[in-house]
Amino acid sequence: MIQLRPEPDVVAAVADPEVTTSASDVADRLPGVVLDESFPPIAVPRPVPRGGDPLSLRRVAFSMAPQDATVLVRGEIGDDEITTRTALLPVAHRQVAGVFADPVIAPGLVCAGDPPVGDWQRVAELLDTAGLRAEGCDGSGVPLAILDTGINLAHLREVLGREVRLDAERSLVPEGVSERPGEAWVDHGTMCAFDALIAAPNATLLDLPVLLSQRPGGSAIDGLLSDAVAAFAHLRTVLEAMPEESRALVVSNSWGSFSPRWDFPVGHPGNYSDNPAHPFNIIVGSLEQAGADVLFAAGNCGRDCPDGRCAFPERPIVGANSHGQVISVGGVDVEGKRVGYSSQGPGRLSDQKPDLCAYTHFSGSQVYGPDSPDSGTSAACPVAAGVVAAIRTRWPASRLSPAELRTLLQRTADDRSDIGFDYDYGYGILNPPAVLAALRRLEARRV
Amino acid sequence: MVLMTVRLPRDATLAAAARKLGLSEDDVDAGYGLVPLDPATGLYGVRVSDEAARRVRPEALTEEGEGVHADPRIEPFGPPRPGT
Repeated sequence: MIQLRPEPDVVAAVADPEVTTSASDVADRLPGVVLDESFPPIAVPRPVPRGGDPLSLRRVAFSMAPQDATVLVRGEIGDDEITTRTALLPVAHRQVAGVFADPVIAPGLVCAGDPPVGDWQRVAELLDTAGLRAEGCDGSGVPLAILDTGINLAHLREVLGREVRLDAERSLVPEGVSERPGEAWVDHGTMCAFDALIAAPNATLLDLPVLLSQRPGGSAIDGLLSDAVAAFAHLRTVLEAMPEESRALVVSNSWGSFSPRWDFPVGHPGNYSDNPAHPFNIIVGSLEQAGADVLFAAGNCGRDCPDGRCAFPERPIVGANSHGQVISVGGVDVEGKRVGYSSQGPGRLSDQKPDLCAYTHFSGSQVYGPDSPDSGTSAACPVAAGVVAAIRTRWPASRLSPAELRTLLQRTADDRSDIGFDYDYGYGILNPPAVLAALRRLEARRV
Repeated sequence: MVLMTVRLPRDATLAAAARKLGLSEDDVDAGYGLVPLDPATGLYGVRVSDEAARRVRPEALTEEGEGVHADPRIEPFGPPRPGT
């Protein structure tokens, strides 16, 4: 960037929004500089002391008067001439007031409303789903429960261009929900199912639309925690009916509580957000103990650009989303940067949350339209759940307990930010090749 | 609505839960039913209105784990809505 001090009439023309000026109108013949004509000159005000005291540093005003203001233009100087030219320009040309660096600036963190960053094929590459398949890890025979707003199988088949497995018998239709499993409206639950299938294309989906509340005053997509309690009780019967040697169940939960207003106060024995003794927190622990991998989205209340519904003033990873026996999943874009809305720890039930991050904000299911991303930690959670389901294809709970797998996922995650655990990324970004390598080593030791 | 936990013998019924709580069968959410939270220890969950929960006498809930619990609204975590 080159700062010029041209004649006052030129400055006045640049500052006048009614007048169009170009770089060459302002800066003619600057040897060694290729002016960028696409960059319109910009008038820059001059700091001047207020109150007539030239030594005052406190009270400064800014003058756009033609005799005070300067003009910025943009140009390019050859790399091998930078030092010489920047030194000579102000000396050789009396109008040049300064030459400044114009560094590349990185875009800010992804927030709500931003366009997709990459697509689901890129997510598949980053997860190395080809490597997972080569190891026989594609989710075959693994039930993958989506607790959400219901799944629309027809949409999944259309977008993926292939068959998708869904087990209607082991799914659950809550009281008041009229749609049969796999026949829900195309909405949030279908997005979650799509994202889970990225890493586990042959997993068997179980549809549990607990967020389709029919209660008076409820919206089309919210529910009550008691619906989730009932769903978890149902999943326990599903799990216990499976042969012990092949028992595996992955449960993806992209939902949570946004506000303490619907909860009992912290300290009340019936409180949910901070109370491990709440029935839902108990049943979550018992399902994990029985052999299920339970994953929860960390939430969309990150400090940089929280969801407008967030009403916990601090520590927004609440209740089961911060349970010590679940995998709490934050969100990163395909560049590996935490999305600005991904909730940061510490968690309320367990301090060290989120556990890890997975990819979100990519073009995928097209549930919200062809140009809208699969977003929120809502997308990151099922992406991670798909990886877990893929691993379970070969390593059922009888060979690797949910607690062991959780530790393995944490230990192998691609560390970000601070060394080791941090509240932004947890242990890092989910890293399937590293998980497989660790499992191979574990297997070799056991043999 | 609130979520109440109550201990009952194995294979208990919703009617048995209502009796133990001192409520009528109309007071408990029949659609929700009696949900086994921990079958091994006989802990069950039932959903009742706030008003019915207030009528439950403290002496009906004396065993460990029994009580009245929040049943907060839950919502999906995406796509995020711009904040304020």
